[in-house]
Amino acid sequence: MSGRDKSRGDVLQGTLDLIILRVLGTMGPQHAYGIAARVQQVSGDSVLLKQGSLYPGLVRLEQEGWIVGEWKKTENQRDAKYYKLTRAGTKALAAESERWRRSAGLIEKLLEEN
Amino acid sequence: MRQGRRFLHKLRNLFQAGKAEADLEREVQSHLEMLSAHFRESGLTDDEARLAAKRAYGSVEFAKELQRDARSWIPIESLLQDLRFALRSLGRYPGFSAVAILTLALGIGANSAVFKVLDSILLRPLPYHRSNEIVQLNLELRSGGTNSTLNVPEFEFLRDHSKTFASVAGLRGSGTMLLKRHGAPNWIHGLRATEGVFGVLDVHPALGRGFEQDDTRPGSPQVAVLSDALWRSTFGADPGAIGQQIELNDSTYTVVGVMPRDFRFVGSPADIIIALPLSNGIVDTGLNTQVIARLKPGVTMAQAQANVDGEFAALRSEGRSPSSQRGIRLESYQTWLAGDLRTSVLVLFAAVSFLLLIACANVASLLMARATSRQREVAIRLAIGCGRAHLIQQFVMESFALALGGTIAGVIAAGMTLRVLLPSIPWNVSAIGLGGVDARMVWFTLGLTLVTTFLFGIASYWQVSKLSPSVFLKGGVQQAGQQRARRLLVMGEVAVAAMLLVNAGLLIETLYRLHQQRLGFEPEHVVTMTTVFEQKQNVLEFEKEALRRIQAIPGVSSAALTSGLPLSGPDNLPTQQEGRPEHSIGGMEYRAVSPDYFRTMKIPLLRGRAFQQGDNGSAVPVAIVSESVARAWWGSENPLGGRVVVGQYQGRAFPEVLERPRQIVGVVADVKNLAMDEADPATVYVPAEQLPRSQTSAAWVVRTEADVPLGAELRKAVLTVRPDQRILEIEPMTEIVARSIARPAFNASLMAVFGGLALLLTGIGIYGLLSFQVERRRREVAVRIALGAKRLAVISMVVKETLVLMLMGIAAGSVGAFVLGRLLASFLGELWMSEPFVYFGVAGILLFVGLIASYLPARRASGIDPVRSLRYD
Repeated sequence: MSGRDKSRGDVLQGTLDLIILRVLGTMGPQHAYGIAARVQQVSGDSVLLKQGSLYPGLVRLEQEGWIVGEWKKTENQRDAKYYKLTRAGTKALAAESERWRRSAGLIEKLLEEN
Repeated sequence: MRQGRRFLHKLRNLFQAGKAEADLEREVQSHLEMLSAHFRESGLTDDEARLAAKRAYGSVEFAKELQRDARSWIPIESLLQDLRFALRSLGRYPGFSAVAILTLALGIGANSAVFKVLDSILLRPLPYHRSNEIVQLNLELRSGGTNSTLNVPEFEFLRDHSKTFASVAGLRGSGTMLLKRHGAPNWIHGLRATEGVFGVLDVHPALGRGFEQDDTRPGSPQVAVLSDALWRSTFGADPGAIGQQIELNDSTYTVVGVMPRDFRFVGSPADIIIALPLSNGIVDTGLNTQVIARLKPGVTMAQAQANVDGEFAALRSEGRSPSSQRGIRLESYQTWLAGDLRTSVLVLFAAVSFLLLIACANVASLLMARATSRQREVAIRLAIGCGRAHLIQQFVMESFALALGGTIAGVIAAGMTLRVLLPSIPWNVSAIGLGGVDARMVWFTLGLTLVTTFLFGIASYWQVSKLSPSVFLKGGVQQAGQQRARRLLVMGEVAVAAMLLVNAGLLIETLYRLHQQRLGFEPEHVVTMTTVFEQKQNVLEFEKEALRRIQAIPGVSSAALTSGLPLSGPDNLPTQQEGRPEHSIGGMEYRAVSPDYFRTMKIPLLRGRAFQQGDNGSAVPVAIVSESVARAWWGSENPLGGRVVVGQYQGRAFPEVLERPRQIVGVVADVKNLAMDEADPATVYVPAEQLPRSQTSAAWVVRTEADVPLGAELRKAVLTVRPDQRILEIEPMTEIVARSIARPAFNASLMAVFGGLALLLTGIGIYGLLSFQVERRRREVAVRIALGAKRLAVISMVVKETLVLMLMGIAAGSVGAFVLGRLLASFLGELWMSEPFVYFGVAGILLFVGLIASYLPARRASGIDPVRSLRYD
């Protein structure tokens, strides 16, 4: 995780990646539609995540080797590309989560200061 | 590590964009499906559900763009895509692409081959250490002009007393020699040189030693240094070869050294170097020794020249030069070697550049035509929002694809050209050391191709894209500016082709004249034989008897002897008109001939008589002079009865060569005794029987009625009289002549090839251009025909316009050719006749090409049903 550039644009990137990893971690193998649906569900419809926005994250994570995609059939016999965490991905999820908590905590503390 | 991983993925996606794209599409579709399923569950109909899904999804293209951004490098992927597109669109017009690539290959490929030759001859240094220090010493003659040889006293003075040079060497090639050592004799090339040659070239024997000054003293045991190859083949690379004896042309030489393996002499092939015995003897007062030297380090040519001028003046004031010529002129040895090679090569380069111009013009017109034909496509794309930059980028890719194809084809063409060219080059290729295609040539070809394609491609597309799209969408109007540009292009191409062809024609014509007229003798049906003699032998009786036998051979119409064949090198002596010291020539060609010589060689006798049997040793010494001598020394008066003194010069006598005054009994026409492209030298002929010293060699000339193979008979005739007589060479006179004009002949044929190529390229180019022009006018043609014009009238209208254009181009080209010819004439020093015949011939050929090139497309255009033409637009 070190060496990752944490510039402003990448915070969003990093957020997205973490979201995907987390969702896959809890839900198991899922396709992009399912991931988006899950996010929507959890956020209580306050975050409208278009599937399209997921693609860059999915590509990145796949290139990093943290997730891997596979074409399978859904219950309705439709084609869908299922992504699942790799072992490296699981580790990355833990590390990224830790980092997120730390930086979130720091920001929280700074915001509390009056 | 991780960066690398992503990099690899990105790279893979770059080249597998198709697969990645397909995958993306599939995923998008799958999501859309799932979305619509979701909406269907909520109760919407199929169509409504699909619409809702699309709306919910958002912009598909935007999503895709995001994905593409992440998966690879957009700009490069875009470029690659454009390249693929470019290749595809080029492939859709195979004719255009093929012609463009072929044109580039011919024009640029051929150019880089010649460039390589030029580069090797003129630009690359000689294979010697600091070869720019090696200079050639030329003699500036009093009579004007320079000579590339000096005499021995001058050489010795320079060697012994000059402070300007680090070393000085005297050279005298000896041509082919017969080497004998245990077993079959074989012919080798020898170089006779003084001891300085190793210092001048800065190459020393790898084995044994070089020469010392003692070795060049006459009477010293003769020594030689072998080339590495000769050492291996003759002595099997045995180091014990040093000190061994070999037999060369009947003389014994001791091997004292072997040259390094990579040594080669650039002036002429040299399998062996022999110590040149210098003496102030008969042979050496003439201008017979080539002198090269190495400048002292740090001395410039100008400084050296000034020094030498001073030293030479001293030589003259001491009266030690038997030929008090004007002075010595230094010249870079490399430049001298290139010599008239250089002008030949430069002329070729000019020709090839013209060819390149034509090729570029062709490519330019092709690209312009293509750009114009895609005006509509460009307009539409601009209208729907394709950025101009991106459009240009696509066209750049097309140009690049063409350039790449052209380069590959060009390099292949260059390789083929070289393979054909090299063996037929008549000059000393060993001096050049050419290989095949090399890196420099590839770079040159690539650079040239890129420049031409890009320049013309970009230019034309830039022009096209600037135009307002709406104009094209409305109806395809042709811009006047482009029309003019195309006209100019046609004219330009024709002009350049005309120039090339005219010059080629003139060169061929000059060569023809060179070949035909100026020999001074008739070489056809003449066989020559050269023999060598021991110094002490009495040859006269042998010669007379052998001649008798030769004349008895059936088929022989006459036979004679000479001390030196025409076109076979100098053999000169100082000569003066008796009593007139101002009529002196330092190096008059001297030939001892038998009575039938002039008859055999068919040299016209202009005055007086030829030699007879009575002109022998006990009779009055006589001579026959060439007409230039007669003209120079006697003017319009009769020279017969006048006398010349060989060995006398400006009142001074040179004892070793002084002869009794000779009475002139005849005048013959000038003969090219020296070389084809040199002026006929002043020559004095004496009867062989009156030669005051023993001969070392003789050349026999035998004229037959038809071309009869005489080799065996000649040998028999000679060997019957003297069984151990050494015969060097038997070859037809025509071959000697051919060798002598090999160079201009080569130039001419090469120019002819270029001319032919130029014609081909121009023809193709004009045809393409006109085809296109006529296509553009299809509508006009269709309207005319619909209105009732006869098909023939329409065709002839088009053809006439084309011919007018071509005439203008030909006129411009002819003027250019004339100017060029004048320039080259002064440069080359050859006689460039302005033959109207050639000009008209070229004009005729080009007009004919134009006729065909315009008739065919015009016919095709007018043949289409006019209604279809009008509708099709």
